[in-house]
Amino acid sequence: MSGHPTQGTPLLRIQDLCVSYPTPDGLKEVVRGVDLSVSRGERVALVGESGSGKSVTARSVLRLDSEARTSGRVLIDGQDVLEMNSKEVRRVRGARAGLVFQDPLASLNPVKTVGWQITQPLRIRGMGRREARRRAVDLLGRLGVADPARRFDDYPHQFSGGMRQRVVIAIAVIAEPQVLIADEPTTALDVQVQAQVLELLGELAQEKDMAVLLITHDLGIVAGFAQRVAVMRDGKLVEEGDVDRVYASPRHPYTRALLDAVPRIGDQPGRRLGTAAATADPVSVSPEGEEL
Amino acid sequence: MNTAEETPLLEARNLVKTFSGRSGTRAVNDVSFTVRRGEALGLVGESGSGKSTTARCVAGLLHPDSGQVLIAGQDVTRARGRALRATRRRIQMVFQDPYSSLNPRMTVADLVGEGMYVHGIEPDRVRRRDRTVELLETVGMGSEHLDRYPRSFSGGQRQRIAIARALAVGPDLLICDEPVASLDVSVQAQVLNLFGDLREKLGLSLLFIAHDLAVVHHLCGRVAVMNSGRVVEQGDREQVYTSPRHPYTRALLDAVPVPDPAAERARAAGRGAVHTQNHHEEKR
Amino acid sequence: MSTTTPVPTRSAGLRNLLTRKGGNKQGHTTFVDRAALGVAGLMVLLALVGPYLAPMDPYAVDLAKSLTPPGSEHWMGTDANGRDILSRVLAGGRTTILATVAVIAVATVIGTLIGTAAALGGRIVDEILMRICDVGLSLPAIVVALGLAAAMGPSLQSAVIALAATWWPGYARLVRTLVRETRDAEFVESARVLGVSRTRLVLRHVLPNSLSALYVQTTLDVSAVMLVISGLSFVGVGAQVPASEWGAMIAASRDTAITAWWTVLFPGLAIALTAIAFNLVGDWLRVRTDPTLRTGGR
Repeated sequence: MSGHPTQGTPLLRIQDLCVSYPTPDGLKEVVRGVDLSVSRGERVALVGESGSGKSVTARSVLRLDSEARTSGRVLIDGQDVLEMNSKEVRRVRGARAGLVFQDPLASLNPVKTVGWQITQPLRIRGMGRREARRRAVDLLGRLGVADPARRFDDYPHQFSGGMRQRVVIAIAVIAEPQVLIADEPTTALDVQVQAQVLELLGELAQEKDMAVLLITHDLGIVAGFAQRVAVMRDGKLVEEGDVDRVYASPRHPYTRALLDAVPRIGDQPGRRLGTAAATADPVSVSPEGEEL
Repeated sequence: MNTAEETPLLEARNLVKTFSGRSGTRAVNDVSFTVRRGEALGLVGESGSGKSTTARCVAGLLHPDSGQVLIAGQDVTRARGRALRATRRRIQMVFQDPYSSLNPRMTVADLVGEGMYVHGIEPDRVRRRDRTVELLETVGMGSEHLDRYPRSFSGGQRQRIAIARALAVGPDLLICDEPVASLDVSVQAQVLNLFGDLREKLGLSLLFIAHDLAVVHHLCGRVAVMNSGRVVEQGDREQVYTSPRHPYTRALLDAVPVPDPAAERARAAGRGAVHTQNHHEEKR
Repeated sequence: MSTTTPVPTRSAGLRNLLTRKGGNKQGHTTFVDRAALGVAGLMVLLALVGPYLAPMDPYAVDLAKSLTPPGSEHWMGTDANGRDILSRVLAGGRTTILATVAVIAVATVIGTLIGTAAALGGRIVDEILMRICDVGLSLPAIVVALGLAAAMGPSLQSAVIALAATWWPGYARLVRTLVRETRDAEFVESARVLGVSRTRLVLRHVLPNSLSALYVQTTLDVSAVMLVISGLSFVGVGAQVPASEWGAMIAASRDTAITAWWTVLFPGLAIALTAIAFNLVGDWLRVRTDPTLRTGGR
């Protein structure tokens, strides 16, 4: 699995992670033994289709689901997050690991100004209001928000979708975490804004030498953003490696099928798209007719 | 006498639609296009560009403020009654979200058979059921699903059912409003292949609305690009994708992520300089 | 998916409280549900055959046996007139439950018609119907019942009419909201594009997907209506003495309640048990009938 060159000790190291959720029919295992590591300054993408367990993996890193039963280890800079008590976990969130979610509107508090929300991670750590504000305005400007000093006192609903996602990114990185986890950060955005946001994210990560774990379903985004890619299916990693290698010569049939399923501009129009990656699309009917 | 051949199957003429409230912004502003028999026209644009509103005006779900929709030469924005229903039947629609576009309380047989029933195409129950089985086969589903409810199907299967439901009344043209946007890539591939098959087998025309330029490239021979309620560029696939005339089309194409690391790197290098000045463009 | 309808229920928590599964959203039928269904079913059965089950004549006065405590002969004792309370509870169930069902049925039909018309009939129709509803909602059932009793003479019929007349506007409001939510659903649009007629659109697509919350509400209301009917009988404008109706029975036993507890306990228990049972069934139905709740996720 770890045939790639390691750049020192990885900042984020996931070892044999298993996650299950309690359902009425007993525990359901969603992540089944994932090993993955991200080094300082490295950008790794975790790709998979819905239900593959990629998001659950990301959320487990910061223990965001209280219902989840986890086993294995999640080391951030050598410390196991899964062993921590809730107070310690809270200290890790924001300070050492930042998070960007898919839906910017849902992850922002509608009744607080964006400035208040961006400065929170700093204020919690005892930074003065003035200094926190100065840094937040700096960062907003850096993220391409026009007239950041004025926008600082605006509310989330006064921002467009792309701008909102920049605010979310600002909240995630203001405390300069070493690890950044971005779960489908651009899925809700239009292509042009998506391109801008991804570029900003990449620049910031490079500048601060962060370890970035990008969760996405979009193979195009991976190609442009990540250096390394891990492909996930049914709770397991099926393939991991350098993006160039994986895209040029995928080893696992699933990866190959996935790449073959994507239409590309420049391909022969109307070509038969590969459908092998679809899990036979079974009708999942239990006796009661409930969806599985 | 091949005038009938030359009348386009669908023609939208200067469609305008304004929604009240938002200081009268025109969601659709003077939009015109044609779809000829057997042709697939892709309507691309970002969210809020007016592409969905256009589709809904064409489908008759919205009444345009002005402009006309002609189906085989007949103006359906004016027509009423039986004639309208017969003409309307020739255009059917597939919606984006297969989880909300199927009545959860109807079985697959009822869903697919409904069109044949209400239009009196197949009044006989048994014959209707046989025809429903055929339609399900056409979209790649077995007859064992007839008496099941939508909730027991996956997104891709629901979309197939929705397509079979639309095909049941024998339409000439299918309006597809982001039909694969909510599906996983592997399932998206299956549904896109199905659209290809249907065009080949049934000679179906498509008005295909999507934000994904690669999907439109894959399926549509002609493309219209929409931005803020207007069609900014319209033309053949080759022309629009390889030598776009409008700067908006170029910007859009440039932003599409390509699943090829080397190509992405080359483009990022080229974009670097241009992009820093674009940062400040997107305001409220 | 996102569009799960928040169902207005008065005691949505009761079932969860009893089943001790915070958020039993899966529609699994628990022991409590079965018990509630059983009791509710029993009560409906009672309404049908109760009078035939009565071991004695519920109207037979025997002053010699006045206020006999519960015992082997009279399981629930007798009232001041020496009538067998068990027989009266069994027979009275019919009156109480049938009156309740009548109120709810009438209110549901009127409410659905008015609510649907308001939701689909355009702004003017909507405005007029909703103002009428406002008037209806502002009239307390007791006042209307007292007025009707004065006009038509106090009887169970006038209580039922009064209650139905004040109850439907609530349903009309609810149905209007539910139908408005459904009418813009994608599957309704899909039916419109298909060319489905207006009548079929309403009957086949809109209403079936709107009304599950209404059924739940009506089931939950069974207890409320029953209590009001019993209350009206208690204050004397509903069922009249000597009719065996649960509320009227309690009313008639006001004077003996302290010395002979059984005269009020058993009819009261019957009311409480039925009310709780229907409440629980309502909660259970709410989860059961909502397909979006059951599949989760979407």
